[in-house]
Amino acid sequence: MRILFHEIKKIFTWRILLLLVIANAVLFFLRIEFHISHFPNGRPSLDSYRIGIEMISKYGNDMDEEDRRDFKKTYEVQVQEANQYLQSNKEFAEAGVGTYEDFLNIDWENKEQAALRDKIMFEEQVDIFWELPERRRLMDFHETKEARVGTYKNGANPRQEARFDEMISAGHYQVYPEVVMENFKEFIFNVAIAILVSVVLIISPVFMKDRSRQLLDLQYTTRKGRELYKTKLAAGLISTLGVITALLIVYFGMYALNNTEMYFNVPIHMFIDSFSWYDPTLLQYMALTVAAIYMLGLVYALLAMSFSSMMPNYIALIGIQVPFVIAMITYGLTYLVTRIINIEVPQWVVPTSYSGMVAVSVLFIIFMWKREKHRDIVV
Amino acid sequence: MDIIYYECKKAFTSPILIALLLLFASYNILLIVSTSDRREELKVANQLAGKYGVGITDDSMNQFREDLQHDLVKLNEITRTDYSEAELDFFTELQLKEKYYEMANDIDNRYDQIDWEQIGESQINMYRFSGSAADTMKNEYIKLSLRFEEMKDNDEHKMWFFAGDPYKMHSFLFRTIFGHVIFESLIIIALAAALITNYEFENRTHLVAYTTTRGRRLMRDKLAASLLTATTVSVFILILTLGTYFAVFDYSHLWGSSISSALNWEYKLPYVSWWNISFSAFLIWSILLVYASMMLFTAIIFSISIFVKNNYFTFFIFAVFFAVALLLPGFIPASTNLIFIAGYNLSQLVMNPHMFLMGNSSGAMMFKNYEWITICAWTIIVVALSYISLRRFRKQDIH
Repeated sequence: MRILFHEIKKIFTWRILLLLVIANAVLFFLRIEFHISHFPNGRPSLDSYRIGIEMISKYGNDMDEEDRRDFKKTYEVQVQEANQYLQSNKEFAEAGVGTYEDFLNIDWENKEQAALRDKIMFEEQVDIFWELPERRRLMDFHETKEARVGTYKNGANPRQEARFDEMISAGHYQVYPEVVMENFKEFIFNVAIAILVSVVLIISPVFMKDRSRQLLDLQYTTRKGRELYKTKLAAGLISTLGVITALLIVYFGMYALNNTEMYFNVPIHMFIDSFSWYDPTLLQYMALTVAAIYMLGLVYALLAMSFSSMMPNYIALIGIQVPFVIAMITYGLTYLVTRIINIEVPQWVVPTSYSGMVAVSVLFIIFMWKREKHRDIVV
Repeated sequence: MDIIYYECKKAFTSPILIALLLLFASYNILLIVSTSDRREELKVANQLAGKYGVGITDDSMNQFREDLQHDLVKLNEITRTDYSEAELDFFTELQLKEKYYEMANDIDNRYDQIDWEQIGESQINMYRFSGSAADTMKNEYIKLSLRFEEMKDNDEHKMWFFAGDPYKMHSFLFRTIFGHVIFESLIIIALAAALITNYEFENRTHLVAYTTTRGRRLMRDKLAASLLTATTVSVFILILTLGTYFAVFDYSHLWGSSISSALNWEYKLPYVSWWNISFSAFLIWSILLVYASMMLFTAIIFSISIFVKNNYFTFFIFAVFFAVALLLPGFIPASTNLIFIAGYNLSQLVMNPHMFLMGNSSGAMMFKNYEWITICAWTIIVVALSYISLRRFRKQDIH
């Protein structure tokens, strides 16, 4: 146990920790910060976000016919409010814009009307005039929800078709605004990048470090002998879990600033977004992506350690991992994290990929351990 | 000379670096070949330039219109409905030619609608520039609109080129392809330069190597070797990638076309170069700028290596340096000219190769003298940095 503790301490030198913090700060400002400080990103995203909260508190996790009528009624009431606003506003009355309908039909060529429109939309940012089009958009989605599933079903393969039928018979249609879902996907994708890079950064030197300092001669002739290899492996895995957990806590702590907890218990099939194979709630989907990140982190840690005990020097160690990391970031992560249950990805692809990656990385490290047991270290 | 050769050999006998080099080069080739399906359609622009000359003049447009009408007559003669392959090709070609004709005809109209000073205003609003930064920006856009007027007078933009919308060949070549080349070269160069510089420490030969007659002057050879290796790597990737590109896409009659060609209008704004340069000149300038940046980056990596003496940290510190320089302008208040000065850095430069020498860019990158000032300023910084690190190494405790 004590040796394990010391090995973990050897991984987290102050230099590596400093580099870890700086690298994450850079990646944060480069890729993550935007999805936190710009959520919701202007209007009508803000209105979409607000209307979503209102819908969830009113209609819950299931929006039936009556709810949709109610939503329509809310729209009509708000149109009346808009009418009143316009009528009580002298400027609009003079410009000949007395109703919301007139407002929608404002002629762009008419300078006076266009200026008034810009004034309440952009300068004063009157809420109802931003909310109304957003509600209208959602109502359009509500009216075409069956047709949309139908279009997707037409181009689907038998398995996808069965899934669409299942959704139709359960009455699962996309009715809630998508801002939160989209934002979370962007956020978690970039968090996955930061964590992947951090894991590789921390774990890669594990075996290389002692070997390049020629410590192995000493270490392998102690009573513990070559078993130390396994202790270092364990130290590497524990450190990986620690780093992933710490970074997830930090990043999700920032994500909490987005205030999306009202959405957490809504099943993801309610959002106007891509279709999925399963029906988790948003919170369950988040948990799934987090599990995926842990899995990827462990796989990349195992790979990093295998390379660490194989490569002749640090340059080769970084060099060989560059293609793996870049390939994962540019091609893999969308499938393995954000689109993990997306209906466009065949149902078997994601579980198979994960099983394959885990199998390869575990076999690789076992092979490396077998090799280490007999390796001639006096070279 | 021998020593430099042997130093280079250290990088070029590393199997991983060679493997990376080949992997990246084949990836680029694959990337280019996989987009070659639009090759057939792209031929039309080349044909037009070949037939009517690369410049679009009133005469050539008249000639073009006559030919089009002639083709239309031919089209009407075909009354059968079971078209042959050649006829179908003729239809699509005619359709494309008509589109090019319309685009060429519309140039004056579209260019007259552009008001650069107004675009400058909206840029200032968008990035919330104020104070002296806003003034600088305004002045620069006044200069750009003068340049734009000059362009409209001498008709340099009236040249045939691949239609920017929908093909976006400028972005594909100078953003996607060049971006890949830059990023890939940079990774290999960073690894190679660090490998060469720290080789003696990594392999515990430093006590021997630095006590020979050559002694610590060996570091100078290592710098030269790093630069030479970087040259070889970038030239190799560039030649293979651009070679494939120009073998796949035919530019034969378009080399002399202007880089600010009005047909090359991809997004909201047309490409407006500060100088009247042709496509081939722009290509050469881009290659030179990329090459100069690579050399400067190599020397920076060399200096980091000397200070850190650990390859692992060198690589990541360089990556952080690159990214921080990229982020830098974002952290500076947009009220002073400091924000533009921060933009004059190599990371900003190499991240936007499609905007080299262009005025329709944003931030400091749109300034007329951006490219050469960046290169010159950083040459001075890098030379100083290399000098300091070499000096430092002379007295460093290497035990």
